[in-house]
Amino acid sequence: MTAISSSQTERPAPAPLDRVGRVRLNNADFWLVLACRLSVFIVLGMLAALLIVLTKSAWPAMREFGPAFLVRSDWRPNELEQPKHDAAGKILFVDGEMVMETLAPTFGALPVIYGTAISSAIALAVAVPIGLGSALFLVRLAPKFLIAPVSFLIEFLAAIPSIAFGLWGLFVMAPFLQSTVEPAIKKSFGMIPGLRWLFFDGNRELPLVGRDMLCGGLILGVMILPIITAVSRDVLRAVPRTQIEGTLALGATWWQSCREMLRYSRSGLFGAVMLGLARAAGETMAITMVIGNNFQIKASPFAPAQTMSSLLANEFAEASGEMHRSALIEVALVLLLMSLLFNVVARYLVVGKSANTSSAH
Amino acid sequence: MISIASNYYARLAKAHSFTMQIVCTAFAMIILVLLALVTAFLLYHGFTSINLAFFTQTPSGDIQNPGGMLHGLMGTAILITIASTVGIPLGMLTGVYLSEYASNSVLAGPTRFVADVLAGVPSIVVGILGYELLVVPLGDYNGWAGAIALAFIMVPIVARTTEEMLRLVPKSYREASVALGATKAGTILRVVIPSATGSLVTGIMLAIARVAGETAPLIFTALGSRFLPVIREPSPYFHPTDLQHPFPSLTKQIFDYATGPYPEQKRLAWAGILVLISLIFVLNLSIRYFATRTRRTAT
Repeated sequence: MTAISSSQTERPAPAPLDRVGRVRLNNADFWLVLACRLSVFIVLGMLAALLIVLTKSAWPAMREFGPAFLVRSDWRPNELEQPKHDAAGKILFVDGEMVMETLAPTFGALPVIYGTAISSAIALAVAVPIGLGSALFLVRLAPKFLIAPVSFLIEFLAAIPSIAFGLWGLFVMAPFLQSTVEPAIKKSFGMIPGLRWLFFDGNRELPLVGRDMLCGGLILGVMILPIITAVSRDVLRAVPRTQIEGTLALGATWWQSCREMLRYSRSGLFGAVMLGLARAAGETMAITMVIGNNFQIKASPFAPAQTMSSLLANEFAEASGEMHRSALIEVALVLLLMSLLFNVVARYLVVGKSANTSSAH
Repeated sequence: MISIASNYYARLAKAHSFTMQIVCTAFAMIILVLLALVTAFLLYHGFTSINLAFFTQTPSGDIQNPGGMLHGLMGTAILITIASTVGIPLGMLTGVYLSEYASNSVLAGPTRFVADVLAGVPSIVVGILGYELLVVPLGDYNGWAGAIALAFIMVPIVARTTEEMLRLVPKSYREASVALGATKAGTILRVVIPSATGSLVTGIMLAIARVAGETAPLIFTALGSRFLPVIREPSPYFHPTDLQHPFPSLTKQIFDYATGPYPEQKRLAWAGILVLISLIFVLNLSIRYFATRTRRTAT
């Protein structure tokens, strides 16, 4: 007893608790709370700024074109001079001279919305089965020593920047598609009467270019694979053990119990897919480099196309007038609202359903 | 009869199950093969294209001998430094608020929601916001706009990881600190944050790795340039950074060279990607190192 008390008295006085290292914390509580509140307001303001600034800049285009902007497919940034037609569709002549009329610039976003939808759909068609299958592998099949390295590699795939995928797609995948895959598909399926639309545009045979909708969709699929795999792995891991053991005890095979797992966590898995979809729709650089950047709606996946993000990347810096810029910003606003929607739905579905989503590694 | 039929279905189910096991394994292998394919091509083309000039020269204007990417490396480094200086404190303070102060605040729910939503905003849209807010008023594409756009992308990542990592710090640490008479700020700054340092560094590196590869937000803000981002005029010896004018970055230069027509410039693009990927790989490895180290010290 005495020994303890004497050792306490001999010990040097402890450092005051209102210090960090040598810095005294005068009114630290006050300043820390103030700084935290301030940054919280800045974060809230960031989203507000996005919505307000984009809406304000897109306002001229919204007023000019109205909701029809979303369903029209002309995109003409410059004035167009063309011969005037009369009511019967003939070109008008006055004194032997063609009468010219000037068409004002006009904008419609349907082709890029279509491009974004189809390329994302191709991406999901590739990434969802592979992602879910790999997640099942990691949760139910993989030997212990494989789980950590495979997870690390999948996360590294997620960390590769968009521009690297773009470069790879442009110089490796697109030439490969053009020289090998697409001719093979054409050779195998080109003769089937119902599939003529794949290879012909009207009567014109489509050239196989490699840089097309298919290539864009595939590269997006590769890019969203890691996030779909990682999130659905975490969702599947959170299925209660008793659920799996119950099915096995009733005599289910491995796959039957897996289906039970998938059914049990279907909303979380849907959330994982939505996250992937949001990523695919907003992806810019890679798809700009491989999709061919042609503003058109074509049924065939072998035709070059354009997405909302690639249109912005291509035209925004060189926009030719106020209305052009405003129309581009309206496209950006549509893109923003769409990805907000996907993210909110995904968040609503995934939160609370996954074991340990973001600190997974 | 019945036993034969059920036996048949059981065997069918087993065969089906076995097939699906193989399919799932094959799918996981596909991911690994894809990763191998991507990295193999990037490494091969990168290593055959990289040379010393890449690190020491700026674009020469000569198509046959296009120089290097010193300007891009410098530009990206400066952009990341400024973005980190702005974005990391902002994100960390938000994370601290969400984890330590928000328990009885009306701001908590909305802030968490907004941070989550911001993390999913397409980066090209961030670029357009930067254009409207910082390029139009200043009259020219400039480095500040690029750096702030990158900071915008860092904030939600840092905020979310900070919150999650601070939540992992056991409650008993905080209680012990308060019991010893520390104030709330003292507890946070001296106990909670130091015991989570490793994982906080993880979050920061994650954010840096993410913005280092970003191109889309830079096209409309920093634009890119072919010169070193310095002011030449005032003195021949001291060159302050020129953030008022179009600003070079590694990723934008790679994009320009890759989509351009000249083969020598394409080789430079491959070399640039190699440097970028190596940087990100090193960051990722150190993230794992820090993550495992904290886990060990925590237990």
